[in-house]
Amino acid sequence: MSTAAERSASRKRAERQEQVLDFVDDRLGSSRWIRSALDKIFPDHWSFMVGEVAMYCFVLLLVTGVYLALFYSPSSAVVTYHGSYAPLDGQKMTQAYESVINLSFNVRFGLLMRQAHHWAANIFLAAIAFHMCRVFFTGAFRRPREVNWIIGITLLLISMLEGFSGYSLPDDLLSGSGLRVVFSIVQSIPLIGPWLAFTVWGGPFPGSSAFLERLFVIHEFIFPLLLAGLLGAHLAILWHQKHTDFPGPGKTEKNIVGSRLWPQYAIKSQALLMFVAMVVFGLGGLVQINPIWIYGPFEAARSSAGTQPDWYVGWLDGAMRLWPHWEFRSFGHEIANPFFPGILLPGLVFTAIYAWPWIDKRLFSDYGGHNLLDRPRDKPLRTALGVAALIFFVDCTLASATDLIGNGLQVSFELLIEILQYGSFIGPAVGGIVTYRACLLLQRGGAHPIQRPVGGIIVRDAHGAYHTLGAAHEEHAPGGHGADNGHSNAEEAVLERVGADREEAEADRAVRTGPGHGAEPVQEERQSGGAEPAVDEQGDQGGHHRQG
Amino acid sequence: MSQAPVPVARWRRPFEAIRRRALGGPLALIGVAVALFAVLSWAGPAQAGTPVRWTVPVSTKPADIKAGNVLFDLHCSSCHGMGAVGASAPALLSVGPAAVDFFVSTGRMPLNSPKAQPVRHRPYFSPKQIAQIVAYVNAVDVAHGTPGPGIPAVVAACKKQGPECPTLSEGDQLFLLNCAQCHDASGSGGMLSNGYVIPSLRAATATQIAEAVRVGPRPMPNFGPGQFTDQQVAAIADYVHWLSTAPDRGGLGIAHFGPVPEGFVAIIFGLGILLVVSRLIGNRG
Ligand code: HEC
Ligand code: HEC
Ligand code: HEM
Repeated sequence: MSTAAERSASRKRAERQEQVLDFVDDRLGSSRWIRSALDKIFPDHWSFMVGEVAMYCFVLLLVTGVYLALFYSPSSAVVTYHGSYAPLDGQKMTQAYESVINLSFNVRFGLLMRQAHHWAANIFLAAIAFHMCRVFFTGAFRRPREVNWIIGITLLLISMLEGFSGYSLPDDLLSGSGLRVVFSIVQSIPLIGPWLAFTVWGGPFPGSSAFLERLFVIHEFIFPLLLAGLLGAHLAILWHQKHTDFPGPGKTEKNIVGSRLWPQYAIKSQALLMFVAMVVFGLGGLVQINPIWIYGPFEAARSSAGTQPDWYVGWLDGAMRLWPHWEFRSFGHEIANPFFPGILLPGLVFTAIYAWPWIDKRLFSDYGGHNLLDRPRDKPLRTALGVAALIFFVDCTLASATDLIGNGLQVSFELLIEILQYGSFIGPAVGGIVTYRACLLLQRGGAHPIQRPVGGIIVRDAHGAYHTLGAAHEEHAPGGHGADNGHSNAEEAVLERVGADREEAEADRAVRTGPGHGAEPVQEERQSGGAEPAVDEQGDQGGHHRQG
Repeated sequence: MSQAPVPVARWRRPFEAIRRRALGGPLALIGVAVALFAVLSWAGPAQAGTPVRWTVPVSTKPADIKAGNVLFDLHCSSCHGMGAVGASAPALLSVGPAAVDFFVSTGRMPLNSPKAQPVRHRPYFSPKQIAQIVAYVNAVDVAHGTPGPGIPAVVAACKKQGPECPTLSEGDQLFLLNCAQCHDASGSGGMLSNGYVIPSLRAATATQIAEAVRVGPRPMPNFGPGQFTDQQVAAIADYVHWLSTAPDRGGLGIAHFGPVPEGFVAIIFGLGILLVVSRLIGNRG
């Protein structure tokens, strides 16, 4: 327990915080808002932090990107290289390519920044994808959070485009090969395709000198601005609606259990930022990425065997390889082949993802609001469909790496393509069915395979005494989950387990007497020894803020 | 605010503890990473240079030819026939020293099964024995009146373009235009149709590279004197050799296969580490 010295130190600390708030209040009259903001409660299940990983990658992309932009030149004027990299000596290249070569070899920290930028982009997209899966499989997109789902998917889409536009900036062999594929995809759009491609590129491939400049403005200005704006809206909505949480002891649709923003959650979040920076700059400094000096400047006559896009575009490249050589005609025009895998497929996929919250409502006839999450097993159909979609995505991504896989396994290219063509149907079907069965089995089995409530919940009552809730109920009640009434069932199990009345009464008292909203400083809490969850009230269906 | 000054150290203490644990480690690691990076990126590329001459002379000494004949009868004639006139495998009456040296020194010959694609292997013979086999097959070809291309020589690259003097830049351009579509711009290989594997070029010596260009081990096309001068072949060989021996700029080159392994590393290591970190920082309940 705490010593007298510790207690007096923490009182001093509280006083100091009051002083700061007073200072702000005197001048701006906003301490009430700040205090309630600092006290805001974040459930800190680890999977909720991956969205933050993405956010911090974005921050690092901005920082490193600004550094690159200081040295990059978006000019397609042809120059002769006479720099420090001998194999390129005397070669003709665009000024854009030359500027990235100089950035890599002659600018202090240039290569580190370039590589960190590229690694951050790859990890950024991976974190977004993971975050999106988390939201999907737990049903966090349900009412009232459909708008944030839409914004999130838009963020994903723009990030993919942003990454691709960055990949195209250095004007090396891979950039040019990638753009050539995209050019032919754009051209393949029925009716408007050729016109559109000419307009965007300013002429036949590789386009006019305006093209690189346009790309640069898009990459370093328009898309980042859009991303920042949407990210702001994403977070504002999250703040307003409050976080979802998994069902568990002491958690109801109307409360929220977790750490306060200040100091616990802020410290956790800052630690995460440091780790993201560590990984990004660690990889950037130690592992080579996109060695454009080896690929050489883009020339139409050249090509390289392992010409692949970055991983998040790989599935589209793979889809192009898997798509059979069918011919379609409509109104006397042949629809060019790249249209189907290059435009139609991503169009359909993103339409389905955008519409998912409403598809989900229909599938489960559930139009109500939810603040508590589904566990993936609670909605076997949704989980199975999600897994099937992921398998399809992996299958297409593998298809874009067939030459490498073939080289590694010494298997013929054609055989691999054929396997993956069948795999794109069979894989998702088998994966979906297996997942569905597994969900049902898990429901019957009761115990969660990986996640079990850790410890209990400590609540302070009006007299200042502490009680432990739920500590005796760590195991899930066996047989608590029926086969098909998913989420509500899981929640009942929790309430049963904890004893609904007692739990609600206690939680309620915790809210009313809850520390931190009145005169008592939050720091007092820390005396009881650390990670004590705080309880906060959750507005109805994400409605207004009733805290404080 | 007329209060006694707050003891700053005390007020900070709980944060200090957290910061030391949560932030100190990563910061230290970033520091180490940056330092290592600096060392790696400032250790510039080794100066290229693989000194040899235009064509390597082949021994015509009867002793060597005789020794080569013995080795050939023992290890090669079962497929290529006595006197290299061909049997289950093609005749070697006009292949020339370049082909024999390439196939034997890369361990492709003697082949295990006549059906398999010859792939690189530990060489079966010592350099001296290889020279003897080359001497024998060359003697057979000369006697047949159809001598093939000699073993090309590779000279050291020069800093600047000059007559009789290949440069890395020349090799780079020729390689990207003629070889990269199969062997990848970084020389790490790929795949052809019909299940032919395109090998990585990283194990080949400069001489073997030049031989491969002239010989064209099936299914690779051969590039005769009409396509490349000797100097250009030397430039290609020098560049490819440089590609596989110069230290990687910017850190560890992961398989030199471009975006696919990069994506793999980003997801498995990059995101993977961050998932573990999130799991340690966040709650599990
Ligand atoms: C198991 C049978 C086998 C043995 C033993 C064998 N080879 Fe071959 N060799 C072949 C086959 C088959 C080819 C054709 C390979 C191809 O083109 O894919 C070939 C090709 C060659 C070629 C290239 C021919 C050309 O047209 O380019 C040379 C040179 C050669 N072998 C030399 C040798 C020598 C020297 C030995 C003995 C050390 C040897 N081989 C042993 C089966 C054999
Ligand atoms: C059509 C595709 C193709 C092109 C173009 C091509 N190669 Fe090859 N190369 C191959 C294949 C396939 C092999 C393997 C042959 C074998 O194993 O018998 C090979 C083998 C080699 C080897 C032997 C590698 C080893 O370690 O055993 C070298 C060296 C080589 N190529 C260099 C070159 C150079 C230099 C060029 C450009 C001038 C070039 N290749 C162009 C397909 C190609
Ligand atoms: C927000 C998400 C962003 C993503 C996903 C992203 C992605 C990329 C990628 C993949 C590259 C190729 C890097 C390489 O050559 O290896 C790149 C290059 C580049 N990026 Fe970004 N970027 C982002 C933001 C920014 C911002 C905000 C700026 C500038 C203000 C910027 C400036 C640049 C510049 C100048 C290049 C070309 C230089 C080079 O290739 O090294 N980027 N970007």
